[in-house]
Amino acid sequence: MAPRRLLVFALWLAAVAVAGTAAAGKPRQVLDLDYGEVLFHFYQEDYFTAITHLMAAQQHNRLPHHRQDAEMLMGGLQLSYGMLDLAQARFHRLLDADPDSELHERVWYYLTKINYQRGHYRKAYATLQETGAPEDKALSAELALLGANINMALGNDRAAADSLKTVRAPEGWKEYLHINRGIALLRAGDIEQGRQLLDALGQQPAASEELRALRDRANLGLGYQLLRNGDSTAARQYLNRVRLQGPFVQAALLGAGWADAEGGDFQQALTPWMALLKISGHQPAAQEARLAVPYALAQMGDGKRAVAFYEQALSYYDSEQQQVEAAIESARSGTLIALLSQADTGISGGWLHENPTLEGVPSGRYLVDVLSGNNFQESLKDYRDLGYLSDALGNWLDKTALYHDMVDARRLAYQQRAPKIRARLEKHETALLQQRWQHYQAQIAAARAPSAPIKLANTAEKHQWRRLQNLQRRLATLPDEPRYQRLRERAEWLRGVLSWRLQSDYQARWWESHKQLRGIEPLLHEAAARHANIVKALHSAKAGFDGYDRRIEALRGRILALLPRIEAARGASGQHLQRLALGELETRKQRLSSYRSQARFALARSYDQLARNPQVLP
Amino acid sequence: MRSLYTGLLVGLLIWPLLPAAAEPASDPDAGIQENVQTLKQQVLELNRDLFMLEEELLFPSNTQVSVFVSMDVGKFFQLDSVQLKIDGKEVADYLYTPREIDALIRGGVQRLHIGNLRNGEHELVAFFTGKGPKGRDYRRGATTTISKGLGPKYVELKIVDRSSNYQPEFAVKEW
Repeated sequence: MAPRRLLVFALWLAAVAVAGTAAAGKPRQVLDLDYGEVLFHFYQEDYFTAITHLMAAQQHNRLPHHRQDAEMLMGGLQLSYGMLDLAQARFHRLLDADPDSELHERVWYYLTKINYQRGHYRKAYATLQETGAPEDKALSAELALLGANINMALGNDRAAADSLKTVRAPEGWKEYLHINRGIALLRAGDIEQGRQLLDALGQQPAASEELRALRDRANLGLGYQLLRNGDSTAARQYLNRVRLQGPFVQAALLGAGWADAEGGDFQQALTPWMALLKISGHQPAAQEARLAVPYALAQMGDGKRAVAFYEQALSYYDSEQQQVEAAIESARSGTLIALLSQADTGISGGWLHENPTLEGVPSGRYLVDVLSGNNFQESLKDYRDLGYLSDALGNWLDKTALYHDMVDARRLAYQQRAPKIRARLEKHETALLQQRWQHYQAQIAAARAPSAPIKLANTAEKHQWRRLQNLQRRLATLPDEPRYQRLRERAEWLRGVLSWRLQSDYQARWWESHKQLRGIEPLLHEAAARHANIVKALHSAKAGFDGYDRRIEALRGRILALLPRIEAARGASGQHLQRLALGELETRKQRLSSYRSQARFALARSYDQLARNPQVLP
Repeated sequence: MRSLYTGLLVGLLIWPLLPAAAEPASDPDAGIQENVQTLKQQVLELNRDLFMLEEELLFPSNTQVSVFVSMDVGKFFQLDSVQLKIDGKEVADYLYTPREIDALIRGGVQRLHIGNLRNGEHELVAFFTGKGPKGRDYRRGATTTISKGLGPKYVELKIVDRSSNYQPEFAVKEW
């Protein structure tokens, strides 16, 4: 159920995260790429990376379109990552800060979930009342299941059953609602309705292994309830439906045998019980079958075989007790803690989908059983998370040395290049260019005067103009003879032609020059800005390098301060896991001890019976 | 023996009637849990600061370029890998896991590449490989010229289902 529960939780968050408020009809799209990246990690259950990126994006103010969603997502991520206190505080802040009722519903949902996870059922019930009726079917189903679980935890089985009656559920959810409602009805004492519901569920075709296991569970639950109520015939019918290849086969075989025994058919009861003996199991059902078989034989009057099976049972319990004691010793000696390191998968958050392998570990099968327990898995998440944090900080520690090297390399490059750059800057090339530009700008302004077309003449024209002026000055000094008079007229004519050309092109030339100078202006500004930036960078570079060094060193100090604390917490978590494991193993040991006592007592009684009836002795 | 039978049965009857939904975790050692929560928060804050320092050092904002991949429904195209070239140089060749594909389809956006580029224009070429409509092998490219100015540059490679022709469409968006 856990993966399913997580899936829905993820879907809920997805709706929160991507759609914002689905009810308000906002488009389902990511408007800030950084936000989408956080979702990418979140959907893969990589909560550590998702939270880190979300915090960095918030720090950089890169989520302008998803501010509120980001707050909700952060709360959800903290909840998923086992940071319940922070998640709870964040959700309470959101309740206080935002009047949006749609948001409030979601926040109440989260708070209900947190209270339930913590086992604060009354608080969970109170916060549940604040959640509205979500439009999303999957969420509606999830909420109904959560509500039913809270009610059942409070003993309100009837209310739990009623709350699941009219829930709108999407495909794939109805079976879960039905089995929970059926169970709630049975617990509430409404056997008939519960039976109808679970009976229907138990006969449904199931496409997936998950649904098949759910169907088995419905049949098993119903079978045992009927057995308890004395309806052994009906109980057998439901227990027969449990698959022989499924996870509930052992409990079903044991129950089927008891159903037959209850009906007085001990011969028939032996069939499932003997089948159970052949299963090399150490689950309670298989262990109990060791007592059940000789009990049936004794009831059938087969005292000899009953004695033989009781003796086998005693031998079996002795052997199993030794196994459990070896497992306890193994756990105490630190083997369990060593095994836990196999749970370090290098992935943050999420569930451990595969149990550690226990090859070569004495009595490993008992430890596997303990490791698979839900309580153990919850605590194991903390242990794994701490291992991940330690690895992450260890990696950062290695990197900080590299970062120091990187800063040193840049500092060296700066020291080598800075003198050349300074020398170039001291030439004030940009300022000189600026001055020349201003000079030309002034020239253009001066050329705007109507009498100054010569100022826009090109070099050749200016040369020609000067030659003509010189020529005319020389001609003016010559005698007033006709041949010189013709030359003066010709010079005057040439000057007129040149002047006319300059005059007629004046507007176009002036505009072209003006345009070119104007085009240069932004380039000059850019050059000036770059110049200023380089001056500033040169000035601040050393301080920058030193700043990076200090920053890296401060972060390194924080890493070094946290690492031993993480190791200590991981040690404490490991010890806690060990205590859990030892507690579970002790329970199993006591159970085996109890079975053994009962077997000894029954065996003694069987011997007595045989002694009183010596004709059956061998 | 009847008492034995009853005792066994009562024990077994309890667990099938527990709710099929996940049971809440017990609260066996609140002290450890509180301590772990505090440590997680402190490490996360430190990780954020280190992450930001790394980004500043390796990818200064004036030269930083990030390329993201996003996908909408993914009905007409099942992504296997993306190859990315910038100015003719391969900078990423990424093979996707089913979990990553699922995360993309649900709205996640993957940062495929982060690197540095000088100011100016750069050619970006992306090749998408996977299964197209009707399960056929599919390889398509998308080319664009991006303009890098001051400040970080974000580019999004989008895989969009085009229902008009039942074909995937590959688009590049500059942010």
